[in-house]
Parts: sequence; structure tokens; C-alpha cells
Amino acid sequence: MLHRTAKPFFKPSRPCAELKLGHRSLYIIPSRFGVLWIAAAGLLLLVAIQTGSNSTLLLAFVMLGLMVLAMFLTHDTLQGLTLRCAQPSPTFAGEPADYPVQLESSSARPRCSLRVQGHVVVECDRIAAGTTTLSLPWIAENRGWQLPPPVLIETIAPLGLFICWGRWQPQQPQLIWPRRRPGPVGETHPPRSRDGLEEWQDLRPVREGERPALVDWASVARGRPLQAKVFNDPEEPEVILAPASGVALEAAREHLADRIWRLHHSGACYGLQIRTITLAPSKGVRHRDACLEALATV
Amino acid sequence: MSHQRHASSLAWWALPPLLLQCIALNWSAPLTWPTWALVLCALFKLLECRRPFDRRLVALLQLLSTGLLAAQLQGLLASVLQLVAVLLALAGLLGHELAGALTFRGFLQRSLQLLAAALPLALVLFLFVPRLPPLWTTELGAARGAVSGLSPDLDPLSIAELTLVEGSAARVLLAEGQTLPMDAYWRVLVHEQFDGRRWQHRDPPVSRGGSGPPRVGEGTSQWWVVEPSATRAVPWDGSALTTSPDQWITPEGELLVGVASRQRRSFRLQSTQRVADWQQRPPVSSERQSPPDSLPRLKALARQFRPLPTGRERLEAVESWFRGQPFRYSLQPGAVADLDAFLFDQQEGFCGHYASALAALMRAADVPARVVSGYQGGHVVQPLSGNPYLELRQRDAHAWVELWLEGEGWQRVDPTLWATTTGLPAAAVVAESGQRQEENVPWWRWLQWQWWGLDLAWTSWWLSFDQASQQAWQQMLFGAQLRWLGVTAVVSGFVAVAGGWLVLHMGIRPRSSLVQSLRLLTRLGVVPLQGESFPRLCRRAARMHPDRATLLEAMADQQQLLAHAPLTPTQRRHHLRQWRKIRSRLGRRR
Repeated sequence: MLHRTAKPFFKPSRPCAELKLGHRSLYIIPSRFGVLWIAAAGLLLLVAIQTGSNSTLLLAFVMLGLMVLAMFLTHDTLQGLTLRCAQPSPTFAGEPADYPVQLESSSARPRCSLRVQGHVVVECDRIAAGTTTLSLPWIAENRGWQLPPPVLIETIAPLGLFICWGRWQPQQPQLIWPRRRPGPVGETHPPRSRDGLEEWQDLRPVREGERPALVDWASVARGRPLQAKVFNDPEEPEVILAPASGVALEAAREHLADRIWRLHHSGACYGLQIRTITLAPSKGVRHRDACLEALATV
Repeated sequence: MSHQRHASSLAWWALPPLLLQCIALNWSAPLTWPTWALVLCALFKLLECRRPFDRRLVALLQLLSTGLLAAQLQGLLASVLQLVAVLLALAGLLGHELAGALTFRGFLQRSLQLLAAALPLALVLFLFVPRLPPLWTTELGAARGAVSGLSPDLDPLSIAELTLVEGSAARVLLAEGQTLPMDAYWRVLVHEQFDGRRWQHRDPPVSRGGSGPPRVGEGTSQWWVVEPSATRAVPWDGSALTTSPDQWITPEGELLVGVASRQRRSFRLQSTQRVADWQQRPPVSSERQSPPDSLPRLKALARQFRPLPTGRERLEAVESWFRGQPFRYSLQPGAVADLDAFLFDQQEGFCGHYASALAALMRAADVPARVVSGYQGGHVVQPLSGNPYLELRQRDAHAWVELWLEGEGWQRVDPTLWATTTGLPAAAVVAESGQRQEENVPWWRWLQWQWWGLDLAWTSWWLSFDQASQQAWQQMLFGAQLRWLGVTAVVSGFVAVAGGWLVLHMGIRPRSSLVQSLRLLTRLGVVPLQGESFPRLCRRAARMHPDRATLLEAMADQQQLLAHAPLTPTQRRHHLRQWRKIRSRLGRRR
């Protein structure tokens, strides 16, 4: 099992597949409320000295004792928690992406929050014993296989007197398709394919009343749910998309990404030619993803 | 959102104990206003809180106001209310972060556990950190008020009828083995200024350290609880030693405790047989001042005693004159025009009349004199909770005279004892009527006595650990090796933190019923296998322990219901109860 501890927060973290939070990867300082707490204990101490009150003195010391214990308690909330990355889904650049993170804990833990650095915070009210999966939103600016910024996990539970946090750079990159932007796209119409109904192009969930011949029985035999085959219509027009001439390649990728997305949703049959890669006209989610991945990575 | 409701209701519940104590505060005390302000701030913040930080702030305000209340109210009831408020404030604080993991009772249990964990370190600090004397002194608030009790002005001539008030004035608990004095005089106020009619008390300025630093290890302890009164002076026996810097004895022999007088005061004194400094202080001019000429008959009488050479002889002559007159003790003397009328015409009155007349007569006879008011007698209460204590009531209020006699200092003389009523001294009559009354004590009075007994026991226990006790304790522990104090304190602090951490780790994290069941099964030697469900694990355990098969199957059923069935809160509680019963029966049969 690959296991590394994170570097201190002032050094760039090295990506790792999973991180078990411990003494070397957790940091803790008093929260704003903790500072107020200490000030209140100090004030009570002063009152106790002035009035000679045993009860006030004991309460001031109890508050100081709680402050000391809260440091251990807050640290314990995160200590031993394992962060692991799951398989992230691809998404477009400049649009919210969900980065899946698995939290593994041997016992239930109180509230904590996670965020990809610089992005929206996700509150986790209670971490149950076992594995919990969370999706952390972030926005990638560039296409390709991208590592998100470091993930920060922090907590102030149970008393809110200390803030304890850990920093983890996940190793699993997320595929980011080019940004979607409408624009000119080069189009060519290839000669008709002859395979027609001979070969199916994609799979989709079976609809009610579907012909049994359309069902992909081979995958059913392998234990997968019922799915229907998607065939190309030999009469359907086909188009091969390519970067428009006179447009910068990066901009052309963005125009192509937008066109592919719209063609996919209109159910059209399309192919892609970019640089040395040519994808034959087809349709379906797998074809769409293949085209967008080619746009993102080639 | 149920956890938010829990947290919010816990914070609300913490307010009544605080408000109840605020009502009992003395408005003239300097800490009263900040305390009220903090409690009201907590109340309004709770009404308007929107963010988690606001809710935490409410808990902090509640703790802070509890601390201020603890500085002002130290009785048993107040301490119990303070503990409840702290517990609820902590529970409210925990409630914000332990989201929905606990019930109301769970929050309270967790708060208790947290308090128990923090207590060892707090106690180490409490015992080892040297106590500091007050950093500065303040005199805020009115010293006079309209609370029943002794008055700074003694004007018996204006009182046509004296009503005996049953209210409690003070209670004193002596160290074990000491006999409670039934006929002692407990001095409070010294009235040295006489205008021909009234004896006035001059309120001394606040001056700390007047009686020197507290002495350690001398004599045995007296624990006092004094009810609110109009004066800063409190009852004492005239010879005890102070034990803390906020107690001091004036040159006239009054004992002052703190500044505020309009709230209950608890303090400790140390008994001693030594002659107090105030008894040897020569009289000042105001204590020699002769009565005005408006009392010609009194002055004429005094002139008869002046030729006598010593103050003692003049006193004896005055006493024999008094005893030779038909003076009668009466609580309804009617209006008396002046002291001449009392001494030579009416010759009927209560202690104030006699003390006032004797002091004026002695001054006119050139013997320095002053009137002292306080309490005389009291009655012993034997509570069920422990040691007997002496209760002084307002009806025990008394006035007597102090005379400066050459070579003897200030001496107490009680002229009321010279008057007669049906052949018995007045004080004896009063005591007798008091005893008759005690035979027929109402139930509420009996309960009150029991409560006061507990209150005094708490006071004697809790107040006994002051700066002097801490020094004595450390002296006993370390002797001459006081340099080890710091090391011991640091080591004890670490041990206390480790102890607190252990207390919390034994159960601060929420443990599900499944985890606890698995732990129990592990103790029975049944460890879950890879992919094994809980019911299957229980069935395997039942095969290994046939004598517990029924219980194990029942535990599996309850566990499945708790984990998967859509239960209402009532049903969940019921099944949790069932599951606990099964668990404890399984645990017992190990």
C-alpha cells in the first residue's frame, strides 16, 4: 500500500494515492473562539484574585484545562483518518468539477469540512465508521489530465477552541475536456458506411417494449444490467469535425468541444479529426467521451 | 436540524439558573452590573444567533457570567446552580459540533465527562498555583441601605415599641471539639458619637491590611455566614484573627469583610485567646466627649461619682445606683423624652435605653465610654447533616457599653442585666421565651435549619482553602524544600492532562451499538470473518456458546432493527433499551 505523509504546509506537497492523517500531517492552532476563551479565563482569574473566590478560580482553571484538552480532542477528530482518491469523472474546463474523495475511518467522528484549496467548502456533519465518499467541487482552468490543487481537511470539533487541518495532494489526475465555447468548426462529409445494422456503436438502457434482438445479451450474461445496442442509421448524415482553418488550435479545440457536446445531445453521428487522430463517425456516450478526450489530450 | 434544536435548548436551559442568581445579587456591589450585562447579552445573543460562532459565543458568555456570579454568591444553593449552568453551557457548546450524534441526555453525559476530564488539571492548578492578594482595592456602591438588622444610629428613645424579628442574622460553625458559646456577646458596631439623644456610628474608610497580614496556623477556625445587612461590619467575638486580606479590624474593634454588605457573606476567622489590639487602644476625644447640657439631672448625678479615684470605682458606684432603682426591662417602654426622663421618671426600657444611659452617665462622670451593638446569645441548631452550629437571629440583637478603665483597657459592661423583670434578668427572659418557642418549631423552620447546616458545612469546607490554608498545606507537604513545588506542579500538571485525556478516550467518541456489540463478541472469543454479516456472526457465536444462544439471537435481532428498520424515536429508544438489557445480561454471564 502506498502510504506517505504530507509535507509541511509551507512546502509543496508531493502527490500520493492516499494519506493517513497523523502527527506529521496535521496542524493545529487556537481558533478565534479559542483566543476569546483564553481571554475569558484570564478575566475570571483576575476576578478570582480580586475577590478571593474559590469557585471563580476553579472555573477559570477548568476553562484552561478544557483548552488544553480541546487541543488533543480536536487533533483526535482527524488523526487516523485515511484520505483516498476515487476515480474522478471527466468534465469541461472552466466548469465545476467533482473530485471524489474517500474517507476511511475505523470509528465515527464528529463534523469536519473538506475543500480543494481555493474552492467551495464541503461540510461533512458526521463521518461514519467505514468508508465515506465525498465529492469536492473545483474548477479546472486547463484541459488535459489535471491534478486538482491540494485538498484541505479541517475541523474545530468538538469544542471549537482549536482549528486542526491537514493538507493532501491527491495523485489521481482528473480528465478535463477543453472549455466549451461556440465557434466555427471545419466539417467534412465522409462516404457512406456500409456496415449499417451489422455493427452496433453504443449501448443504452433498455426501454419498455424494446425488441429482444436489440438487447446486448452477451453483457447480460456477464452480470450487467439489460442494455440495448445503438446502431448507426445508414441513411443518417455523417460529419467529421476538424479545427476550423485560420483559428488558433486552442480556440478551435474549444469550438469543437462545444459542437461535439451539442451534436451528442441532438443524437447526430459525427467523427473527429485532429492532428494525427481520426475518430470515425459514430454516436453515443463512449464516442463522445473519446472525442472529447482526444480534444483534451492530443 | 434536531441537533441544532438540542444545542439551542441546552443554551436556553442554562439561562434560568443564571437569572435566578442574578436576582439575589446586591445592586450596590461593583460586579453586579457587569454580571447582569453579561447574562442579558447571552440572552439576546441567543435570541438572535444565526451563525455557529454566535452560538459558541453564547456558551462563553454564560460561562463568564457564571464565574462572576461565583465571585459574589458562594452559598451551597448558588454553587449548585453555578455547576448546573456550567454543565448546560458546556453541553450547548458541544451540541454545535457533535452534529446530531447525541440525544439531550447524551450531551449532558458528554459534558460531565468533559468536566471530569478537565478537573484534574484544574485541581492541580488550584492547589499549586500560589494565591495572590487583590491587585488593587476599590470602593464602589453604597455602604448603607434599608435592609433589616442593626442600625448605624442607635436612637432607642424614639422607639415606643420594639418588635422582635425572627429573621436569621448570622450563623457560625466552630471547629470540631469546640463548645458553642450560648451566652457570648458578638460585637458588630461601635457607636462613639453622642449628640444627647442618639449614639452614632462612624463608618470607617476602606483600608486594607488594617489588621496586618493573615496569620497562619494560630487557633482553630470559625466559619461564618452573615445575612445581608445595612452595615459592612459583621459579628465576631472581638478576639478572633482574620484569615484573608479582605477582612480587617478597625481600631474601634469592628470587623469588616469585603465592601458589599447587601448580600450574604461567608468568611473564616481563627479563634484565639489573645487580647485584641483594639482593647488596648486609648480612647480618642469623641469617646471622652461629655453629654450636652440638655441633660441636667444626668450630669448632676454623674457629679456625685466624679470624686471617686478610679474608673472601676465609679462604675461600681453607678451599678449600685442602678440596682437600687426600680428599673424594669420592657419592649414597650412608650415614648421617652430624653435620657433624664428615662433615668429618673420612666425607668423602663430595653437594652438600647440602658446602654445609652449608662454610657452617657459614665462620660459625664469622666470615664470614656461608648455603646456597642451586636448580638447576644443565639441558639444551637443540631442539623442531621453534621456538626451543630449557632444561629444568631435579629431578635438576638443587643446593645451594651464599653468603658475605658485604667490598666484594663476597654471593658464590656451590660447594664441591661441590672434591670429586672419578674425577678429575672431581661436576657434570661428572652432566652427562656426563645427556648419555649423551639419546642414547637414549624416544619419549614426545621427544614431551613437543615439546609443552613448543609450550607455551613459547604462553606466551612469550600472556604477553608484560602491563601493561608494553601501556604500551610504546602508547608506541610514540602517543608523547607519549597523549591520542589514548581517541579511537582509541572509533573502533576502533565499527569493530570494525561488522566483527562484517558477519561475522554474511554468514551468521548460516539460508539454505535454495533461497535459495542462487536466488542462484546470479541470478549467472548468471536471475531468477525471477512464478509460475515452480523446475524451470521451471532449465529456462529451461538454455536460456540450454546448456553447464550437465545441472548445472542435476540441481540442480532435488535441490532438489525436498530440498523435498518425505519423506527420512530420512541421505538428506537425502546429497542435501544432492549439491546442494552441483552448486552448487560451477556456481559454478566461471561
